[in-house]
Amino acid sequence: MEPILKVENLTKRYAKRNSARTPQEFLALDSVSFAVSAGATLAIVGESGSGKSTLASCIACLEPPTAGNFWFEGRNLAQSAESELRKIRPQIQLIFPDSASALSPRWSILDIAVEPLVLQGKLGRKERNARTFFLLERVGLAADMAERPAAELSGGQRQRLAIARALTLDPKILILDEALSALDCSVQAQIANVLLELQASRGMTFLFITHDLTMAAHLADEIAVMSRGRIVEQGPSTKIVRNPDHDATRQLLAAVPRLPRSPWPAAQP
Amino acid sequence: MTRRRKIVFWLFVLGGLHGIVLCAGFFAPYDPVEQDRINPYLPPMHLHIVDAEKHLHLRPFVYASRLRPGTFDQYVEDIRQTRPLKFFVAGAPYRLFGFLPARLHLFGDGKERIYLLGTDAFGRDQLSRLLFGGQISLFSGLLGAGFTLSIGWCIGAAAGYYGGWRDDMLMRLVELFLALPWLYLLFAVRAFLPLTVNPLKAFFLIIAVIAAVGWARPARLVRGIVLSAKERDFVRAARGFGASSFYILRRHILPETSSVLLTQAAILIPQYVLAEMTLSFLGLGVPEPVPSWGNLLSNLQQYSVLVSYWWMYLPALVMAPFFLGYLGLASALQESSDAYKIEKRSLGSLA
Repeated sequence: MEPILKVENLTKRYAKRNSARTPQEFLALDSVSFAVSAGATLAIVGESGSGKSTLASCIACLEPPTAGNFWFEGRNLAQSAESELRKIRPQIQLIFPDSASALSPRWSILDIAVEPLVLQGKLGRKERNARTFFLLERVGLAADMAERPAAELSGGQRQRLAIARALTLDPKILILDEALSALDCSVQAQIANVLLELQASRGMTFLFITHDLTMAAHLADEIAVMSRGRIVEQGPSTKIVRNPDHDATRQLLAAVPRLPRSPWPAAQP
Repeated sequence: MTRRRKIVFWLFVLGGLHGIVLCAGFFAPYDPVEQDRINPYLPPMHLHIVDAEKHLHLRPFVYASRLRPGTFDQYVEDIRQTRPLKFFVAGAPYRLFGFLPARLHLFGDGKERIYLLGTDAFGRDQLSRLLFGGQISLFSGLLGAGFTLSIGWCIGAAAGYYGGWRDDMLMRLVELFLALPWLYLLFAVRAFLPLTVNPLKAFFLIIAVIAAVGWARPARLVRGIVLSAKERDFVRAARGFGASSFYILRRHILPETSSVLLTQAAILIPQYVLAEMTLSFLGLGVPEPVPSWGNLLSNLQQYSVLVSYWWMYLPALVMAPFFLGYLGLASALQESSDAYKIEKRSLGSLA
């Protein structure tokens, strides 16, 4: 099957100007290559600073890569002009890690959720609102909250609002950049279920970026492990979790919190 | 007081003060340029309700003044002549708000003149000149601040949003303008113009120079806010929805600058009123006989006036409530924007 997203040797360098007098460069992405087929979920796992978020911004066309190419539905976006990218961006949606910063604090919930559709300008006001309310309800936000400011929402509600907002555009690829990491377990599970349902019904492709290997194994078919801007290991989820090859993967596995074996004897019946 | 009520309070105070000046024609008893040459430097007349014979009057009145025998500039009250205050009388014609022809005055009578704040060297009523002068001084402050902020806003937003070499270039320009000694620059600009210019030209000259020099500071502030706003995730998210630069500036970035602009306006307006007063005091502003607070004060350049006629200081004193109002408003606005920042910060930590 033709991959919906193919990344080849993607490289991103940042100029570090403030640290030293001579300009230094920081290699955030170092020839990253992978491919995702439509409707699949790829998890990109790595410790903080490994270049995951840079990769997300590059694929969402929010930052131009320094070198390398990536193809979305056969179109090379690394070489595309800004005017073309503006038309592509709505199809590749990025959910940000910090939901408080991703939503305009002074806007109402409805204004936030409907903004992408207003920008598209294709639908009339009624259709826009109907679709937005449908999606808000889908992620579990009641329609009667729509006029309240986003600042009144809890963290989990905000992240769900951000997801509903991205979904109004019906994107082909949804990139979740640590989107669930800041939430507590029950909310994580709730949102994960909504996402899995959506994937089943709409055939959406997910790029799930996280530092949490167990969460990644739970949601994704395939895992790519990143370390220092490179993909060091890539394979099916079960293989990566059960039988890791690379040290970085083992460290991530070791960092997964587990309950200690109970010091108390098992309850007697 | 909550901060919203504080802002409303100060707006109310300022609205009242400006309303009085705006309706100067009604509150002023006489035409500000009308002379009464036989009464130069007449001290303010006192309002009475009890006369010399201990009779209570329902209508407040003043006594006419006459020269103290043997002097040429000392006046005493002439208790034989009472001049009752008549309210809502027709008097000198004026134009309300600059265009509505009217004759109605709060008080004052054409023949028996009442000088509540005294007169100047030509016997012109100081109260009327003070009120009309306020129109020029306050309007130049408001207009100057308006121009300054709009220039500063555009340049700051452009520099912050587009960044790169444009930012570098504009910020060097800002530094250059911050370093200019504006008063002497103004002298130089004034020197280019003929000795006598008409009041309207002089007025716009003042505003142009104030705006040309003052835009640098607000530009720098706006640039800082735009720089931080454009890195916020909701701005990047909007770009992800296919938004254009113009849309992002209009809907997401520029609204963030509004609280700084309002605070700056409240700080700049009184500063520019003072600038106008300085210029007119030095004779570079609006020329006589048109009154402005600055050229009313310029009489004080004569030593004899400085030491003898205290009511000539009044234009400076009258500034105080205006300044107080603007500073109160500025601090109330600042407080609210700080609170807004704290709100946002606590929100961020909840996520």
